[in-house]
Amino acid sequence: MYGKKVKLRALFILLIFLSVALTVFLVFKSLEENVVYFKSPTEVKNLPELETNKIRVGGMVKKNSIKTNDSEINFIITDYKNELIVNFKGSVPNLFEEGKGVVAEGFLKDRNYLKAVKILAKHDENYMPPEVNEALKENK
Amino acid sequence: MSNQIGNYSLFIALFASIFLIFQSSNSIRSKSKNLDSKIFSALSVQSLMVLISFFSLIYAFIISDFSNETVYNNSHTTKPLFYKISGSWGNHEGSLLLWLLVLTIFLFIFLISSKKLLNKYRLLTILFQELIIIGFLIFILFTSNPFLNLFPVPKEGTGLNPILQDPALAIHPPILYLGYVGTSIIFSSSLAALVCGMVNKIWAKHIKKWIVISWIFLTIGILLGSIWAYYELGWGGFWFWDPVENVSLMPWFCLTALMHTIIVLEKRNIYQSWTIILSIATFSLSMGGTFLVRSGILNSIHTFANDPSRGIFILCFLFVLVLLAIFIFFIFQKKIMKNLSKTFFVSKETAILINNWFMMFFLSVVLIGTVYPIFLEVINSSKISIGPPFYQKLIVPFLIPFMLFMAVGPKLKWIKDNLSKINLNQLVLLILSIIVSYLLVKLYGVNYLFIIPLIGLGFFLFLLTIKDFFSKESTLSQKISHFGFSLFILSILFNGIFTKEFTSNMKVGDKREFINKTIKFENLKIVEKNNYKSLVANFSVSDGKDSINLIPEVRIYNQPKTLTSEADINSTIYSDNFLVFNVIKDDGYYNVRYQYKPLMMWIWFSIILISAGGIISYFKKDD
Amino acid sequence: MVLLVILKKMIKNIKFIIIILFSLFIFFIFLKGLEKPNNYFPEKNLNKIETNLTFKKLYDQKEVLLLELINNNNFSIINIWASWCLPCRDEHIYLLNLKSTDKINIIGINYKDKKSNAVKFLSDLGNPYSEVLTDLDGTKSIELGAIGVPETYLVNNKNKEILTKYIGPLDAVKFKEILKIIENEKN
Repeated sequence: MYGKKVKLRALFILLIFLSVALTVFLVFKSLEENVVYFKSPTEVKNLPELETNKIRVGGMVKKNSIKTNDSEINFIITDYKNELIVNFKGSVPNLFEEGKGVVAEGFLKDRNYLKAVKILAKHDENYMPPEVNEALKENK
Repeated sequence: MSNQIGNYSLFIALFASIFLIFQSSNSIRSKSKNLDSKIFSALSVQSLMVLISFFSLIYAFIISDFSNETVYNNSHTTKPLFYKISGSWGNHEGSLLLWLLVLTIFLFIFLISSKKLLNKYRLLTILFQELIIIGFLIFILFTSNPFLNLFPVPKEGTGLNPILQDPALAIHPPILYLGYVGTSIIFSSSLAALVCGMVNKIWAKHIKKWIVISWIFLTIGILLGSIWAYYELGWGGFWFWDPVENVSLMPWFCLTALMHTIIVLEKRNIYQSWTIILSIATFSLSMGGTFLVRSGILNSIHTFANDPSRGIFILCFLFVLVLLAIFIFFIFQKKIMKNLSKTFFVSKETAILINNWFMMFFLSVVLIGTVYPIFLEVINSSKISIGPPFYQKLIVPFLIPFMLFMAVGPKLKWIKDNLSKINLNQLVLLILSIIVSYLLVKLYGVNYLFIIPLIGLGFFLFLLTIKDFFSKESTLSQKISHFGFSLFILSILFNGIFTKEFTSNMKVGDKREFINKTIKFENLKIVEKNNYKSLVANFSVSDGKDSINLIPEVRIYNQPKTLTSEADINSTIYSDNFLVFNVIKDDGYYNVRYQYKPLMMWIWFSIILISAGGIISYFKKDD
Repeated sequence: MVLLVILKKMIKNIKFIIIILFSLFIFFIFLKGLEKPNNYFPEKNLNKIETNLTFKKLYDQKEVLLLELINNNNFSIINIWASWCLPCRDEHIYLLNLKSTDKINIIGINYKDKKSNAVKFLSDLGNPYSEVLTDLDGTKSIELGAIGVPETYLVNNKNKEILTKYIGPLDAVKFKEILKIIENEKN
């Protein structure tokens, strides 16, 4: 009777161990496949090799750069050092505006051109930049 | 005036907290049999003081008292009264005050409802809970005080972010916090029970109510957040696997696991250690969520105002609590009575263990997906994000066995059962469901690897739970929740498969063809409202026979200057027609997104059903 | 004493040690993570002021070239502010103090503001600016490289170069730094 109990317990621990191993393996395997790197236009320029996976590029929408036609939106993301032309088909969030921060997710065609599949614009609870908010608190 | 009242009452609450910590540890040492009346009065004073300070903040918002910095930063005289009030907890300072309020009130309710239990246990729970409360009080008073004075007094406030001016979002935080804070009671009381060596049936019965109530609030809170995201963010989805959303889902998984495990503890007096670990983990995840959201460490599209010093405080506080819990756990673990009653493989206990396994698996996936970017950034400074495919790939396939166990598990008996219970009836049902799903998939030509077993198992669970409503096995609350879950999975699957989306840039008067539908941009009007200006568009969507008009808006708020898109959604019990438009630039083009989304109502309804199970269980008479 | 015995026992417990170490590891990762700013900052390498940048004046709505205003003294300060901005109130006293040194002219750029509010702000708190310009939609400030309010730029008048950028309100430290730069150049 006692032997059976020990066996059961050993089996149980083995099962837990196996399932933890399985979880870790599965999670990290799909992490590798689904990671999207975030780059600035300058980093894109300096890539040793053109990234073929999906990436995110963040920066400001350059002034007077948004061009629209029936199906597409073209604009330029800038970090004030380098620029990247973005071509996008789809819907944009309502914080998408010239001179505002933007994150475009998509595939690079070359170092100057991104075919975006998703546009994200950052929204903030407070629209003063965070470091200003922080400074404000320090002054109190 | 209300500034002073609010501030001083918080200080009184702080003193009450210090007093309570000393008094309760003294009482524990003196081994008194009855609760000191001083403790009760100190607790009442504390709850009252926090309540007063919370109401004085609301009052300051209502009368637009701009000498209060929080009001100045988050309100405006032209705002409707409802949003003035909800604005008081829509910001960082106010939301923490709300946390604190719920913390103290829950502790008070705990005190009243635990009269029959051991005095030492009650005192210890008060002690642990007061440690949490004092942490929050210090945090509020010294890093995020909602009652800071502003001089000279400005004439006008800067307004509440219009995207937050929404009824669902006005009540979403309080509901979610009720859930989060409920887990703090579970945390304190499980540590207290551990120290007293009373992790047993009686305790399980007592704490089950708290677990269920937290779970209900958390579920409804998450639901409200999703509804808000669905019609306000204008992306046409309701769940984006965004870190801020994940953070509320993680304690939910943990709490769901706990809710099942506590039944085993109540009925069979086993899994004691595991229950305690789950309680600690649930609370740590709730607090950790607050940390992740409020510190700005996350790279999320819903970033909140960041402030590293606040982040460091919450982080240290969280880890002090976690380390304390770990120490207590290891010191008093031996006190847990080893229950040597026999357990067999085929039994309800095992079924619940399997449920726990799945919950822990889902939790690990979401947790790793959420914090991995933070780790990677610290380790090799690359900025990454993890997209929805990661979660879908890992979670969806596991739903298949999950639903199978969910259907069969509740039928098993405690202690020992045998598999011959799985009779022909059920097998036939299973095969039938899979055939139906196969035909459906063939008919609509869906191309997705797991779709046949997914829909099949969904149907199986659906039919079996319906059948169960006529049998006497298991409880009504369980049946409703599991039935709700099958409905949830089915509606999400069909919704995912049959959603049709169309985006385009259109000018007024343009027509676009989409599958068998014609979308026409009829006209655009400008409407002046009290606190915003609105561009009201009129679109007609017709499929030859029927035609519907959708009237989405773009609102231009001045205080602060923001644009928001209000999608127009035409909901029926079969499907939603969702249309949202957006201004890109002043060149006549508007960015238009149209979506046909079947069964949306059923997704919301099924979540309500799931939580209804919890509500029934809460009000059920103890047998 | 009792606690010490318990602690000694626990140190031998491998599970305990692993869990404690693991949670400390997570703690330090998060702590490190907090130090990294997560928001995107434009790193505009802007040293010179663009020659063709024009603004409207607040009081008479006349259009002026920003460059033309940068003369008189050795240094100028460009301060971007708004009446709705709280930190701007805090830093105002430093601007007034800088003005009283008479060694520097301060140009204010009123950011996304209403004229009446801006005028009231200055009449309430005092006007440190030699000239107040307006930027109603905030686009002009972006061309200067600004990302919010308040921001203050110290400009060398000789070569029209921006020497330092201060993001967020001026404080005692920044104030002294500005004074030091001005004094040094004089000697």
